[in-house]
Order: sequence, then structure tokens, then C-alpha cells
Amino acid sequence: MVNRTELENKVIPYKILLETLQNTYDLVDSILLDNTIPSLKIGLKYLIQNIEANIEKAGDGLPVVGHHFAFQSEYLDCFDVVPICIEGTSYILSALLPDGVEKYYDLMRNWGHPFHTCSSQKGVMGMTLDDLFRFDAIICPTAPCDNTMASYPYFKYQADVPMVLPDMPFIHKEKSFKYYAKQIKKGLEDLGKIIGQKPDWDELKKHLEIDNKSINTQLEIFELKKAIPCPVENFYNAMSAAVTIFMAGKEEKVKYYDEMLESAKNNYRKKKHHGGEEKIRCIFPYMLIFFDLGLCEWLDRELGMSILFDIFNYNFTKPIRTTDSLDTMFYDMARKGMEFPMMKQSTDFYYNFIDDCVNMAKEFKSDCFIFTMHIGCKQFGSVVQVLREALRDETGIPVLMLDLDVGDKRMTSMKVLRDKISLFAQTLL
Amino acid sequence: MSLTNDKFLNISNSIKNSYLDEWKNNKKKVLGYYCTYIPEELFYAAGFLPYRIRATGHELDELADIYMVRFTCGFVRLTLDLALRGGYDFLDGLFITNCCDHARRMYELYDLVVFKRKEIKQKPPQFYVALPHVINEDGFEWYLDEIKLLKEQIEQEYTLKEIDNSQLKEAIKIYNENRSLLREIYNLRTLDNPKLTGSEFLQISMANTSVPKEIANNELRRILEIIKNSKDLSNNRKRIMLVGSVVDNINFTKLVEDSGAIIVSDFLCFGERNILDDVDLNGDLLENIAKRTYYRMSCPRMMDDHKKRYDFLLKEIERAKVDGVILQRINNCDLHGCENMLLEHELKDLGIPSLNIDREAFLTDTTRLQTRIEAFYEMIK
Repeated sequence: MVNRTELENKVIPYKILLETLQNTYDLVDSILLDNTIPSLKIGLKYLIQNIEANIEKAGDGLPVVGHHFAFQSEYLDCFDVVPICIEGTSYILSALLPDGVEKYYDLMRNWGHPFHTCSSQKGVMGMTLDDLFRFDAIICPTAPCDNTMASYPYFKYQADVPMVLPDMPFIHKEKSFKYYAKQIKKGLEDLGKIIGQKPDWDELKKHLEIDNKSINTQLEIFELKKAIPCPVENFYNAMSAAVTIFMAGKEEKVKYYDEMLESAKNNYRKKKHHGGEEKIRCIFPYMLIFFDLGLCEWLDRELGMSILFDIFNYNFTKPIRTTDSLDTMFYDMARKGMEFPMMKQSTDFYYNFIDDCVNMAKEFKSDCFIFTMHIGCKQFGSVVQVLREALRDETGIPVLMLDLDVGDKRMTSMKVLRDKISLFAQTLL
Repeated sequence: MSLTNDKFLNISNSIKNSYLDEWKNNKKKVLGYYCTYIPEELFYAAGFLPYRIRATGHELDELADIYMVRFTCGFVRLTLDLALRGGYDFLDGLFITNCCDHARRMYELYDLVVFKRKEIKQKPPQFYVALPHVINEDGFEWYLDEIKLLKEQIEQEYTLKEIDNSQLKEAIKIYNENRSLLREIYNLRTLDNPKLTGSEFLQISMANTSVPKEIANNELRRILEIIKNSKDLSNNRKRIMLVGSVVDNINFTKLVEDSGAIIVSDFLCFGERNILDDVDLNGDLLENIAKRTYYRMSCPRMMDDHKKRYDFLLKEIERAKVDGVILQRINNCDLHGCENMLLEHELKDLGIPSLNIDREAFLTDTTRLQTRIEAFYEMIK
């Protein structure tokens, strides 16, 4: 007879994650004054609830379903499963564990995974190789990058995990959304057959509606960032990425954004900047540096540099229509999926990305851009200079490119990165 | 008679050639493309010479460095550098598909940088087809629709009249014959006593993508006769299969062969992978062209087709009596890097010797590679 602990041990990294989240929360709670870094405290509180619930479900024997971050976890709410975001798990652990997840990167590298292939998958691949994750199935859209196409077959062919691959077109046209809508629906039906559950579309609707509720709040926070000084601390961006990935379709996500909106409004009214004085307004058009999120605080407090937003915090889609037909709902799910952070920029030409950046620079009165050129993201490897030229010509502001692995401190150390940013900041002041 | 210094093989050493010049002198158009996932027959029917972009012999990348970060594929980087130096200014159009992240972004770079250079008088049209990453009926339906749209776009941009069935049929016949001739030549590599080296086949294959196919077919027939009448090559060398990223330079294959082996088989896009499948001449011809391109022997960009590729490899290893497999990737090629990772373990489980190496697009580290390759040969019984 299988006991509860054995079932929970299908998701050992989640148990590690829960422990680190709780330790971090306790530390934050005991050291920091109230409202010092509100996003951190609020976000941790809800993340802990979410991870606890998932471990509980694993203990109940529910299927463990791995999913790519671009296949939003609320889409899996039509099933009773334990959703594990593969990329999210690698990177949240790289942020929270004192030694990151380098051990698992190295396991995979030694197994043959190329050094230049994305660490976001490499981490959980290594954990699976080490038998820490035992997936019952994985669902992954065929996007946004070569890393996804290249790394996921490992789970299917070497770890023997059944895999469902909804195909996402690499062009944004009307027909693309229709095609991907069918792919999502068929993908969920196929997944249901693998795990022995029938998708419950009513349950899915319920969670989509919950997720819809936070869109306007996010937009309101986004608008508030136009204010000088920026009324939202840099860490909000990092926590928001985690909330988007781990808590999609959950009430906790709605609460997180509601509470953050209150905090932002409060700061806005008081013209308060998290670091004391805002000296530089910066946009990270791509990702943050996950292996050391302390950078967010350092930028706020040491340099007076606000990160107005990163890629997870400037992509918004319309709410999903749930009251019309199922076709409409899946169409909107497809649109949302294809316009999800990184998907929008990766599965189409990058002209819109450049235009968006130029417009945001103007609207938000940004002083500079910092582009984190992640080693995995070859699809962005030829974007930076074009962006740099467009920003120079249209707005006159500079771009600093940092080449690094956002999940592995060994490629470019935080010391080097901070030095580069400091020097860059000096040219702006 | 031998292939040494053969004029057709020598075409592979340069970017341009006399056949291409003659084609251009006759006011005919050349279309550049990167990846073999292209409905070539459709372009040929429209009067184009589809030309596979490569950077053979080019070893500079300073200009490309401006627009590409250091994590990008060396092959694509070299082509960008050459493009920025005017190396492909003879192109009258560009076709890009989402084959890999490196090559697909060349669409924007040609559009925003290469074709905006002052030397370009009129910006050539660009074509893009979104190819699914899985192989199934839904994916084919999508792809067929893309091909139909592409045909309309070509007609609007160039021919101003419909590309008709007779033109498609003629193009298909020429291309089928071309692949058939290449297969015949290829099979002479796999004999117990091979008739040509892997480097020679690579040269033939590269030259074949740089000239009009009618001319290529005449040349291939001539070369086939030369090979058939030539002496057998020595059979006491290790028989190697070469797998992985694009190889557009015989410096690498020569290194592999000069170290004591002969490449009797390959799984490369300038090699066997691209000549296995033909287009059916019955039924809807455009659909048949799309079918061939979509359902053909895939490369790792097709996410759900590893098993088919692996099975093919095993059959080929047996057919060509392969002693060992060299799995290679150009640095930063994630698709082949991970495919090679899987293959390495699978081949190891079967006791088939394999060597998994990474390399630069042009050879800068020959000693390192040579040492590893020679050690591998020593290891093969």
C-alpha cells in the first residue's frame, strides 16, 4: 500500500521549496518592519499557501502534471491535479536556496545537456534525473524557443513521462489564435486520457473568471508606475512573476494584486519611493536576474534605480470570455497564451516588441533600459542592438546589455553584474 | 577520372558561381533560404533559383557581432557577416521559416539591416512561413494553408499570374530526379568499398543547392558516371556516420576523414536527410509539395519526432555497416545539442560507439577536435 509520504515524495523539490519559503517568510516577518517590502511578505504568504496545497494534493495521490510556464496553470484547473511549472520551479529554487540549483544543472550537464541550453528546464530535468520529481504527465506548448523544443523530449524519451504538445504557431494572425485554441482543447482532452480524468470545463471557467479579476488591478498598478517617483518597489516585479506562474486562476493571486494596489496607491499619495529617492527610472524589457533577487532591493536602495517593470509586468491581455460559447473561451485562452510574457515577443516578428519598448520608454519616462541577455534565449540574440538603435533614435536613452544566465550565478557573477550596472548608472546621473 | 578538382564540386568552395551569374545575366531571379524546410519546387515553378545561403570559407564575424550576441550560432553569424559585406547582394528575395531561433530571426535582420544598406537599390521581397513544431494532421492543415498563402504572395510579388499545374509538375519532376541522382551517388558511399568520401558528397550536395536544378541534374549524371568508373576507396578505414548541426565546410569532414576514417553515412541537412523523400506527381501538386516538406525526415526542430529519427539512424548504421557515430553540434545549437544528448545515451545502451562533440562553425580548434576524434577511433574495435 502506498503511503502519504511516498506520494508526497513525487514532488520532493516542492517540499524543499515550501521549507525555503517558510524560512524566508519567518526571516522577513521577524527582521523587517511592517510594509518594508510589502510585495515580498504578501507574495510569500500566498506562495506558501499554494505550495502547501499542492503538496497536500500530491499526498492525496492526485496526478503530478508538469507544465511549461507558457501553458498557464489555470488551464489545468479543469482537472484535479498537482501542477508543477517546470521553468518556475527551477528559478524560484535558484532564487531561494543558498546554493541555488547548480547541483541539478551539473547533473544534467554531466548527462550531456549542453551548457548553453536554458537553465530553466535544466534544473527540473536534473531533479527528475535525481528521482526527486516523478511526473505522471507533462503538457508543453511548442514555444517559445529552441530550448523548449530541445529539452522537453528528454522527459518523454528518457524519463518516460507521457507528453502532450499543443502546437503554438510562430506568427500572430487571426488564424493562429483559432488554431492554437483547438490545440489547447485537444491537448487538455489528450492529457485527460493519460491521467484518467475528463476535463471539467465548468471548473475551468470558474478559475478563468478568478484570473480575470486580477487583470484590471494589474493594469492599475501598471498605470501608477507612470508616477514619479515610482510608487511600487522593484521586488514587486519578481514576486509578480512568481504569482503569475504559480497562482494563476487562484484567489490568492487576486488578493496579492489587491493588496499590492493598496500599497502602491498609498505610496503614490505620499509620493514615496521605496529606496528613499528615485534617481533613475529603468525598464527591464526582458527578465530579472532570478539567481539573486536581492538585486531588486540593491537597485532601489543603493542606486535609487526603479525597475518600472520586466517582461512579466507589461504584458496584459483582455479578460477571457467565459459566458459565451466554449469556442470563444478557448479562442481567448489561445490569445492569452500567445500573448503571455515572452510568448508574445518570441512567437512573432520582433517589430512589435521594439515599438512597445519605444512607446513604454516615452510613456513611463524611462531613463534607460537594462537588457538581461540570457544564454538560453537565442530568439532574442539578435534583438538587443536593433532595440538599442531604435531607443537611441526615438528617445535618446541608452541600453545596457548584460550577458548572463539568469538562473546560474556561475556564468556571470552578481559582483560583475552590479559593477556593470553601477558604472552604467554613473553615466546617467 | 576522379573528382579531384572537379568543376562542379568546386562550386561548393565559393558563394557565387558561373551558373548563378549566367542565371542572373538572363534576368532571372535568385531566392535565398536558410533551412531545407522550404517548398523549393514552388519557387522553382515560379522561375526562381532557390539558393541555400551558406558562408563557406568566410571566417570574419566582426560586423555580425554588432547585431548578434555571443550566444548565437556561428553558422548564422557568419552568414550575417557576409550579408553585411554584400556577399548575398545578388539575392532577389529571401525565404525564412521558423526552423531554429537563430535562423528565423534573420528575417528581421535582413529587413531592418541587410536590405537597408545603401548598396541595395530596391529592397527584395521577403517570405515567411510558420511551420508547426509537431507532425500531425492538424499541423499539416495549418502548413498547407501557409503554402497556399505563400503561393499567392509569390504570384503577387513576382509573376503577376498564377503558377499553374504544368509549371509545378515540371519543377517536381526536376527536383525528384535531382534527389534520385543524389541518392544514387549517396548509396555509393555506403558500399563495403565506398566509391567516394563524405567530404566529396558534401561538396556535391552544397554545389547542388547553388545552381539551377536542370544544370545540377546534368552535372550529377556526369559525376555519377565518374564515380561508378572510379576505383574503390580503401576499405581499411573506420566507417563513420556523421550526425548533427549543419556542416557547410569540408574542413570539418576532412578532419574527420583524415584522422583515419571515412564518412560512409550522415544525418545532416546538407546530406542524406534532405534527399530521402520525393514529391508525389499524382493528385493536388501543391498539396503534395507541402506534404513532402512537412512529413519528410525531420530534424530536431520537430519536437515529437525523435523516435523516427532514432529508428532511421539505427537502420542506416546497419545498412552502411557503420563502426561509430560522430554526433556534432555547432556551439549554441540547442536543438542538435539536446538531440545528440539523447542519441548518445541511446547508442551507448546498444553498444554502438559514439562521440559527442561541439565545434565552432569554422574550425578554430582543430587540434582539440583531432585529438578527440583520433582517441575515438582508437576506442572503436
